Amino acid sequence: MEQIISPIALYVVCALGGLGVAMALPRRDTKLQITGGVVFAAAAGLAALALGLKASGSGGLPNYFFYPFAALGLGASVRMITHPRPVYSALYFILTIIASCGMYLLLSAEFMAFALVIIYAGAILITYLFVIMLATQAPSSTQEELIDETDAVSREPVLAAAIAFILLGILTTAMFRGVGEVHPAGNDRTALNGVLANLPKKVDLKLKRAGLLEADERVLRLDDGTAALDASAGTIVIENVDLGTTRMIDHEQWGDHLEATNLDRLGFNLMHDHPMTIEIAGIILLMAMLGATVLARKHTEFEEQLKASHARTLGLDNSTGDRS
Amino acid sequence: MIQLTPQLTTLLSTLTNPMVALSDPAAADPHAAATTAHAVGEVGHGPAWVLLIPFLPLLGFVLNAIYAAIGNKSKLPAWTTVGLLAVAFATTLSMFLSYDGSPYTVHAFDWIQVHFGDKSMIADFSFYVDKLTILWMLFVTGLATLIALYASEYMSNDIGTGYCRFFSAFGLFVFSMSCLVMGDNLLMLYLGWEGVGLCSYLLIGYFYKKPSAVAAAKKAFIVNRIGDLGLALGIYLTFVHFGTLEFAELFSNEKLMGYVADASVGNFSAIPGQAQWIALLLMIGAFGKSAQFPLYVWLPDAMEGPTPVSALIHAATMVTAGVYLIARMYPVFLVSEFALPTVAWIGTITAVLAATIGMAQFDIKRIMAYSTVSQLGYMFAGLGLLTTTGAAFHVLTHAFFKALLFLACGAVMHGFAGQLDLRKLSGVAWMKGWGIVGVTMLIGCMNLAGLPYITSGFYSKDMIIAEAFVTPGYSIIGWLLIVTAILTAYYTFRVYFRVFVGPQHAEPGNEHHDHDDHAHGEEHNHDAGQHGDHHSSGFHPHAPGWAVNVVLAVLAFASIAAISLAYIDKAEHHGWVGSMVHDSTAYFHSPYVEQAHHAAEGTAHAVDGPVGFKAPKAVFGMDAHTAMILITGIGGIFGVLVAAFFHGPKGWQGLFIGGRTEAAKCRMDAVARRFGPIPKMAENKWYVDEIYHAILVAPLRVFSHVLHWLDKLLVDGLVNLFGFLPRLFAWVIRPSQSGVLQGYAVNMAGGVVILLVVVIVVVLRAGGAA
Amino acid sequence: MIDSALVLAQQSFPAPLGDSMLAHYLFVSAAMFVIGLVGFVTRKNMIIMFLCTELMFQGAGLALIAFGRHHLGADGQTFVIFVLCVAAAEAAMALALVVLLFRHRETLSAEAWKELNG
Repeated sequence: MEQIISPIALYVVCALGGLGVAMALPRRDTKLQITGGVVFAAAAGLAALALGLKASGSGGLPNYFFYPFAALGLGASVRMITHPRPVYSALYFILTIIASCGMYLLLSAEFMAFALVIIYAGAILITYLFVIMLATQAPSSTQEELIDETDAVSREPVLAAAIAFILLGILTTAMFRGVGEVHPAGNDRTALNGVLANLPKKVDLKLKRAGLLEADERVLRLDDGTAALDASAGTIVIENVDLGTTRMIDHEQWGDHLEATNLDRLGFNLMHDHPMTIEIAGIILLMAMLGATVLARKHTEFEEQLKASHARTLGLDNSTGDRS
Repeated sequence: MIQLTPQLTTLLSTLTNPMVALSDPAAADPHAAATTAHAVGEVGHGPAWVLLIPFLPLLGFVLNAIYAAIGNKSKLPAWTTVGLLAVAFATTLSMFLSYDGSPYTVHAFDWIQVHFGDKSMIADFSFYVDKLTILWMLFVTGLATLIALYASEYMSNDIGTGYCRFFSAFGLFVFSMSCLVMGDNLLMLYLGWEGVGLCSYLLIGYFYKKPSAVAAAKKAFIVNRIGDLGLALGIYLTFVHFGTLEFAELFSNEKLMGYVADASVGNFSAIPGQAQWIALLLMIGAFGKSAQFPLYVWLPDAMEGPTPVSALIHAATMVTAGVYLIARMYPVFLVSEFALPTVAWIGTITAVLAATIGMAQFDIKRIMAYSTVSQLGYMFAGLGLLTTTGAAFHVLTHAFFKALLFLACGAVMHGFAGQLDLRKLSGVAWMKGWGIVGVTMLIGCMNLAGLPYITSGFYSKDMIIAEAFVTPGYSIIGWLLIVTAILTAYYTFRVYFRVFVGPQHAEPGNEHHDHDDHAHGEEHNHDAGQHGDHHSSGFHPHAPGWAVNVVLAVLAFASIAAISLAYIDKAEHHGWVGSMVHDSTAYFHSPYVEQAHHAAEGTAHAVDGPVGFKAPKAVFGMDAHTAMILITGIGGIFGVLVAAFFHGPKGWQGLFIGGRTEAAKCRMDAVARRFGPIPKMAENKWYVDEIYHAILVAPLRVFSHVLHWLDKLLVDGLVNLFGFLPRLFAWVIRPSQSGVLQGYAVNMAGGVVILLVVVIVVVLRAGGAA
Repeated sequence: MIDSALVLAQQSFPAPLGDSMLAHYLFVSAAMFVIGLVGFVTRKNMIIMFLCTELMFQGAGLALIAFGRHHLGADGQTFVIFVLCVAAAEAAMALALVVLLFRHRETLSAEAWKELNG
């Protein structure tokens, strides 16, 4: 662990962070909130400093965009859990998500970054906002600024913060200790080419766009339908569909034009490696939709009965009227 | 362990492959081993039709059960039972006639065959037939047939399920009794023993809606259980000591023969204590079943059952099972130093005690019950005095006349709507249609009273009493038995004089004949102060029908005819019964009787008697039998005269000056008052039941209460404590279940944190060590 | 800005994320997770509680993507998709429940349902 952060600094950071969060949580006297925020910011800064010092020593500082994103994300998170008004909490959560998206981008997970923004910020959080508005009594004109007692007071903030930041200490201890012994995978071109070999049409398209293929040529398909793409040698076999002849191009020629993007890899991984999980996720979503519909349904039997009785009364009136 | 393994192997091979056991010649034919018989000799195989005797009643039981199931509402069960029993009796007769003098066994099927080590316990479902068996089976099946015939009329009020139930149990009883008497091993005897106990329970509790009947049934069953324990232990000890349960093997057992030889010269110290204990344990069983002191208390209460049951089971057959057991196992009893003297004394005490109680009772059926107990006491005294012949003879005659008496009483009870109080009945014999009952009752009473020369009861009783006087050291028993005979004559004729003669008078009982579960003899009023003399107008006693009269007549004839048995073979065996007993294991040649005869003939010479026995003597200078005939004859007549004086009707036939002016009052009332509380005590059975209650039941109840509280406080307390601990724990942690979601979340997070801290510490330690 | 971030990201693309860089992301993700936990435990408003669970999901998602980047695999991102699925499902269910519960008690406080402790 020592190669990443000094344990003392880590535990000081955890303690400070816990203290800050505990102070920042809403209570009856709100004076401590700003102090708490400052303490938490100090803890975050200390963490950044401790991590950065070690990282710079070993030459592994992250991209400098990381720091604003991290600061934004953590700050918005803390504000989200400390803000007494649910609407603001939801909005701060959107901020947190956007900050996470930035970090996703830094981690070259651009698809997930945009998906997060669209799904979380665009769909889920908007649903939250709707529900918050549905489930909150409209403030009367006289008491516009009244904050609900439920929201104004937090429950056992010190205990919760203590537990949570001890957990943080444990988690980081475990993670950092583990990282030092896990070796990252190398630059696995073979794996990338493996993805490409499974996408012969994409290879066709890319090579055509690069002008490497003639009109009547395409990548040779092997018996199992994969492209004849030798991953280790970096050669691609091209066949002429009309003539039936084949030729070979090597990595020098196609290297810049042909690569498996993140999205390719993600899609391929998703569909190829985890098909069952997709099914399960689909069922979970379906069930959730069904459950939400059932749960939120209003029981309107009485109203229907009322309407039916009204209708009968009306019909009775009509018939009597006709008779008279 | 080394010894156990081959035992287990043998046992397992027996269980898994019976053919192995069968192929073993010794196991297949256990009697083949009995070639060196001393007393019994070669035991052959008898004809298979002997099996009809036990299995026909069993068939009756099954058929009656089927009748009950299909809801038969006719007298079919009775006729089925009577028919089957009659065939069984005929079979027994043919068994008797075809018996050639040597015992045999009849094998029905293999029952229990257990082999272990070099021993094997074989108890087949086989029947052992010798003269003792035949004697017993003759009167068991004969009386059962007659009583079933009687019951066909007597029980006719219950036609339907109850009728089937009665005859079903009746059949099962005869089957069980056959197993008891005919079984060729002690386990068969035990099976029958328990079977008759069960049937007795079922039949005493026949009126199961009546609490007193249920209580009586339970009492009989439980008291018998005490005896049965003794019997079971005795059988166990027999097997342990002699290694066999089969009579044929047991009575040819060299060990046992050696003991008998030792015992006959009085050398009891040479016999191991274990062998002597067998007889004492078996004796307890006999006391229970045959209602001897102190286990007699169930028998009088057993009168709650229908009268035919009382006659068959509790007078004629089942209660003689104890006598049979001792007679059958006589060699075993002979080798025990104390068993037979105990039997003699207990029998005598029972005889006297029951007779005194019987004198003071008012319920005629109960009087008969006590007389049964008393007569059983005679039989046991006879057994104890080494005269199995006398005991068996008394069993036989008693079976006839006591069945007769009970059935006559039952007829009265049946005719007078359950009335059994002798203060409320009078002159029954003079009533229309009751003549046969009156005459036969008189014959029965004469037999019970032992009137000289004209009754068979006299001869059998005399044989026992005479034996008491010729056996040295037992003359006290003899005198007690004579006193008992006088008392017996008195209370027997007390019943007769009060109920059957005198002015005609009858108060019906409270029994309704149109009721299904009518209770016989309910509410017997023993309080002399409450007797009323009002007639319930409109009550007409219904006289007994032909079945009852025929049965009574046959029994009366048999009681008289049994006199002849005393003269058959008299010279050689002291009567026919003697000849029967002589050929069986029950026979023991009593040297004293011979010597007494010799002494009377003046040819007495010094005989070196066994150690501890004095030389026999003549009684009053004459032969003991002659003396006893005089004494008991005079005693019996004296008892009858006393009864006539106190209870006979006034001016009756000008013969006696009777003391009874009306049904309820008699001279005895005035006399009884002079004795102070004694008659009352006798009427209350000397408070034996109360004493039992005080010294046995009450302490047990207290003990069980103590146990109950112990259970409640200690055991339950312990259990409750174990139940309370989790509750305490829950009480401590319950506040954490606040119902607020966050509370649970905090707990969960805290738990996870603690867990992770532990894991991390362990991992770091391990990492640090590595 | 976004463009340059993209460029920066793609510049470093083939090279795996180093240990110390990964540590930064993991620290942020763990911090987000525990802040969500604190919020879930302390806030009484049910909607905010569910928001906090979403925040915990975010922390988990960030860690997944960082590890995926570290190992140069797509599994991390794939599982973020599933996390999104679960989050969406949970949001749907939870919000339906919240609406239902609000109708009964006219308050969003989780403490209004204390008597469910049995």
